[in-house]
Amino acid sequence: MATVEVPYQETVPLHHPKTWIGKYIFSQDHKIIAVQYGVTAMAVGLVALILSEFMRLQIAFPGWEWMDFFTADHYYQAITMHGMIMVIYLLTAFLLGAFGNFCIPLMCGARDMVFPFVNMLSYWVYLLSVIILMVSYFVPGGPTGAGWTLYPPQTITAGTPGHDWGIATMLISLAVFIVAFTMGGLNYITTILQARTRGLTLMRMPLTVWGIFIATFLGLVAFPALFVSAVMMLLDNFLGTSFFMPAIVSLGEKLQYSGGQPLLFQHLFWFFGHPEVYIVALPAFGVVSDLISVHARKNIFGYRMMVWAIVAIGALSLIVWAHHMYVAGMHPSFGYFFATTTLIIAVPTALKVYNWILTLWRANIRITVPMLFALAFVLTFIVGGITGLFLGNVIIDIPLSDTYFVVAHFHMVMGVSPILAIFGGIYHWYPKLTGRMLNDTIGRIHFYFTFIGTYAIYFPMHYLGFIGVPRRYYETGISDFYPQTAHDLNVFITVAALIVGASQVLFIVNLVHSYFNGKKAPANPWGANSLEWCTPETPPRHGNWEDQLPTVHRWAYDFGVPGEEKDHVPQTVPRRKAS
Amino acid sequence: MRIALIAILLFVVTVGSVVFNFTTPFHFDAIGSNWELIDITVYITFIICGIVFVVLGLLMAWWVHKFQYKEGKFAEYEPENASLESGLTIITTIGVVVMLAPGLVAWNDYIHPPKDAYELEVYSKQWTWMYRLPGADGVFGAAHNKYVEFDNPFGMKKDDPYGDDDILILTDTVKIPVDRPVKVLLRSEDVLHDFWVPSIRAKMDAVPGMVTYFWFEPIVEKMYEVLCAELCGRNHHSMRGWMHVVSMEEYGTWLNDQVTWAGFQEGQVPLSPEAARGRDIATTNGCFACHTIDGRNLDTGPTWLDIWGGTVTLDDGTTRVRDEAYIIKSILDPHAEIVEGYSPTMNVPEITEEELQSILDFMRVLTSEPVKTEPAIEGEEGSVDLPEGEPTTQPTEEPTTD
Amino acid sequence: MTDTTLSSQESIFTSTAKDWSSDMTTFKGVPWGKAMMWIFLLSDTFIFTCFLVGYMVMRMTVTEPWPVASEVFALTVWGVSVPLLLIAIMTFILITSSGTMAMAVNMGYQRRKWAVFWLMVATAALGASFVGMQCFEWPKLILEGVRPWYNPMGAPQFGSIFFMVTGFHGLHVSVGVAYLLIVAIRVVRGKYDHTNFEIVEITGLYWHFVDLFVVRTEA
Repeated sequence: MATVEVPYQETVPLHHPKTWIGKYIFSQDHKIIAVQYGVTAMAVGLVALILSEFMRLQIAFPGWEWMDFFTADHYYQAITMHGMIMVIYLLTAFLLGAFGNFCIPLMCGARDMVFPFVNMLSYWVYLLSVIILMVSYFVPGGPTGAGWTLYPPQTITAGTPGHDWGIATMLISLAVFIVAFTMGGLNYITTILQARTRGLTLMRMPLTVWGIFIATFLGLVAFPALFVSAVMMLLDNFLGTSFFMPAIVSLGEKLQYSGGQPLLFQHLFWFFGHPEVYIVALPAFGVVSDLISVHARKNIFGYRMMVWAIVAIGALSLIVWAHHMYVAGMHPSFGYFFATTTLIIAVPTALKVYNWILTLWRANIRITVPMLFALAFVLTFIVGGITGLFLGNVIIDIPLSDTYFVVAHFHMVMGVSPILAIFGGIYHWYPKLTGRMLNDTIGRIHFYFTFIGTYAIYFPMHYLGFIGVPRRYYETGISDFYPQTAHDLNVFITVAALIVGASQVLFIVNLVHSYFNGKKAPANPWGANSLEWCTPETPPRHGNWEDQLPTVHRWAYDFGVPGEEKDHVPQTVPRRKAS
Repeated sequence: MRIALIAILLFVVTVGSVVFNFTTPFHFDAIGSNWELIDITVYITFIICGIVFVVLGLLMAWWVHKFQYKEGKFAEYEPENASLESGLTIITTIGVVVMLAPGLVAWNDYIHPPKDAYELEVYSKQWTWMYRLPGADGVFGAAHNKYVEFDNPFGMKKDDPYGDDDILILTDTVKIPVDRPVKVLLRSEDVLHDFWVPSIRAKMDAVPGMVTYFWFEPIVEKMYEVLCAELCGRNHHSMRGWMHVVSMEEYGTWLNDQVTWAGFQEGQVPLSPEAARGRDIATTNGCFACHTIDGRNLDTGPTWLDIWGGTVTLDDGTTRVRDEAYIIKSILDPHAEIVEGYSPTMNVPEITEEELQSILDFMRVLTSEPVKTEPAIEGEEGSVDLPEGEPTTQPTEEPTTD
Repeated sequence: MTDTTLSSQESIFTSTAKDWSSDMTTFKGVPWGKAMMWIFLLSDTFIFTCFLVGYMVMRMTVTEPWPVASEVFALTVWGVSVPLLLIAIMTFILITSSGTMAMAVNMGYQRRKWAVFWLMVATAALGASFVGMQCFEWPKLILEGVRPWYNPMGAPQFGSIFFMVTGFHGLHVSVGVAYLLIVAIRVVRGKYDHTNFEIVEITGLYWHFVDLFVVRTEA
């Protein structure tokens, strides 16, 4: 049957835009959309980065007169916006919106996403959500300061900054983002399932595509929970319904709520929130697997296990959400179940780590900039992963939850790690995207600052958690649990954070400078096998391929195959008869 | 072979992390409760995870160095190795079980308070703590947020006979006896809070609309600072309290001094309603972020205990009587007169005249000595809007040293 | 799965496994739009499920009495109070519209454009009358004093949930009506002549899904 099947994309002509605006602004080309997503995400991420520097300055130098303008309200608004921007508008948007858009059609051998118009719409709706989010800085009361978890009743009571307009813009922005994500996500999944090229079976797909595939699927089933909780909270705030609001007395004033369930919100939020962690982590896993394999010139070790690990992690991530709620006051018996599922999820995750490291064994490692980032990812992820074993184990979570241990853990595991993967991916695919190489020296300097700096920020931070420094404190004061030495450590962390923040300028300079002045990139500078490196032109034109789509004959990891001439065999090269 | 920089870096980071772990002073402090099992579980996890971390980190460093790129070399072609992969799966699973099992046992203890535990209700609100004990009958009277009123701070149901002997502790300081298990019941008046003492290890959120619990047994007599561990609004960081673990004897004496709900209704209140209101206003305005009421002087502001009376040296070297005019001025125009050793960081509070009077009522209670009110301005007590430009007229009077 | 695979001796299991391990497409013979609509409906199911989870949690935890649905939605016809009559009528309308939609899909595969057009318009009309009845139901409840934040018959969450879920469902129906009309017009204008008219089936998928949920939400 497969012999008569022709890729549908070969039979329909692609509509090429004529105008400049159609080509580059309202573009339906997945590569342009990827760039649009990426640039927007980085811009908004820069805002979040600056917010975090303010927060660090406040923590290290409370009462410093230069920071007088930064009140407790500003601090809590900053932690909220920083968290939400980083998790949703930077990481999710970048890994799925930018990498997803760029990699899926190229790696699947497709001309474009299956519905380019919906794909374009996805970006513009995403941009709208970002704008609504930024508008919250200009509404009365400023953005919400409820923490990125937005726990009610706090979010909509008077003791929280931005409890009326700020939270409204935040929730509306999230709802709009979910619409944007759904439009993009449907495209990604349909493209992967229904628009692969000849010979590309699911088990021949690069792991990047696998990671994005499962992450998108998770997004499509998890974001609805956030959408619903956003709708219900908006109703609570503006119509006076009592979904999440029990009878409370806020700052001496009795509110007209009764009978609501604050824990319902937490359950809905984390039913979204935990898969969200993997929505960010899985594409990063995929990208890093590909980077390590390509630059170590060796096949990824245990490909099938890597795929099944991704699938298993995705499936398990839907039933572990309440491990964020061990101290939230839910029924205590849940603790047994969620601790067990959470630690089970550690097994496939650990196997992925082993496989990355085993890929290095007897490899032929090229220490390129993408490889540096991939190696740093693995080490950072190990730290973040094993501290997850602390927090996932219900009883250890009791003393450590809501301390800096948690902050350090999730920054390691879903802050720094995915960012390192994103950097690695950018250094890896930039030549294909632009036709120019990024500057290697600047790249290396940027890497060392970023890796050493972030490690210096977050590794010691775990220990602040051990002595009990609570997170989300505007100022701590010298106290029993917070000795002067801890304060000194916080100053050190802040200095590291400022250096890391400043060093990102190098990256932006590199991106811009190399775009105009970089070395011309060959079609396949890293000697990689997957389809994106087999395009007839670099950068690939609209439609990616010639009249006929490429034909795939093998998996994407044929490095160092004995008996071959070169140390890599691209996917398009036919297998020899004997094998 | 040239050693790759990244290999050195991976090595240094791995070894450095271990060195940091053993040299840092930042570890769990001495435990103050029965929860050694938590600490033991942490140590088991620490050991297993530490070994995994070191092994993986060093392997990476070593292999990145050893298998560097050589032109023309082919990497070993080995897509899979079923026995190695299943071996690693089994080892990992065993490790996970070893970490999980003691955790679940400890959790089982954690959620089942012993039969002989007595109950203590922690009542949280933005941004302070209060406490309630069931009293002689050992049963809490029914209470709900909907009953909370100005003169009913715990929301007690008025016709519930069990409530009459409930002991209300209206300050943020509670004493508990050493070596007796306590089941802490948590209630919240407004938003999520979390009663937490790091040395006790245990914590739980207080959720409005429901009663949550945890239990522990204090083993050391000590004054512990209570923190709020769940973000609860703009003064989250200043929501502190004190938990004083004392001997049974001292506890008994202290308990006898506390007021019951019945007594509270008859007017035996530690604070007059006005003063209590003043305290609430001060709480919601975040005054206690910088000022204490227990005599400790924070870096940020002087304590309110006995603030009213005596003299104080200002930063310009002059001495000033702390009379009512001075107090009012220090609240409404905080940067005018700064006490020596402090910096002018206080924000001007947005409070009405009525609220100011309530705060003054509260401060009056905090002052043990008779309130020194200058007769000259007593007549103007109602008019607190002191003219801004008016120079400090009062301090010219000689301070009465007593 | 196409008929060729079904006609062979393979079990569902092996043929599924074969499809998933094949190249190009996983769902053989399924057009992109249809696959996409299925995935969208999966996502949308989660939205409705979350709403219903909210409903169940509220119902279980609220202490005040929950109104009896059959009394609230009773309609007085010629002096006789018939419980749930309005809901029965509304459900009947939507189920009928599913029928007309199915016929439209069938006509689509026979390429009878005008038949498709009129059947889709009929479906849209039935959908619109459903929304219209909701517009009757809402003011009726509001006149009885039910508000999103208040309910004279007991727990205020009854009103909240009712207005939220029916509102959300009504929104789906309204969108569906617009979608039906757009597709119907484009069909007669010949926009889909080069295709197999699977767009009609895709629209039908959405419409059946919305119908399915009327049963769940009104229950």
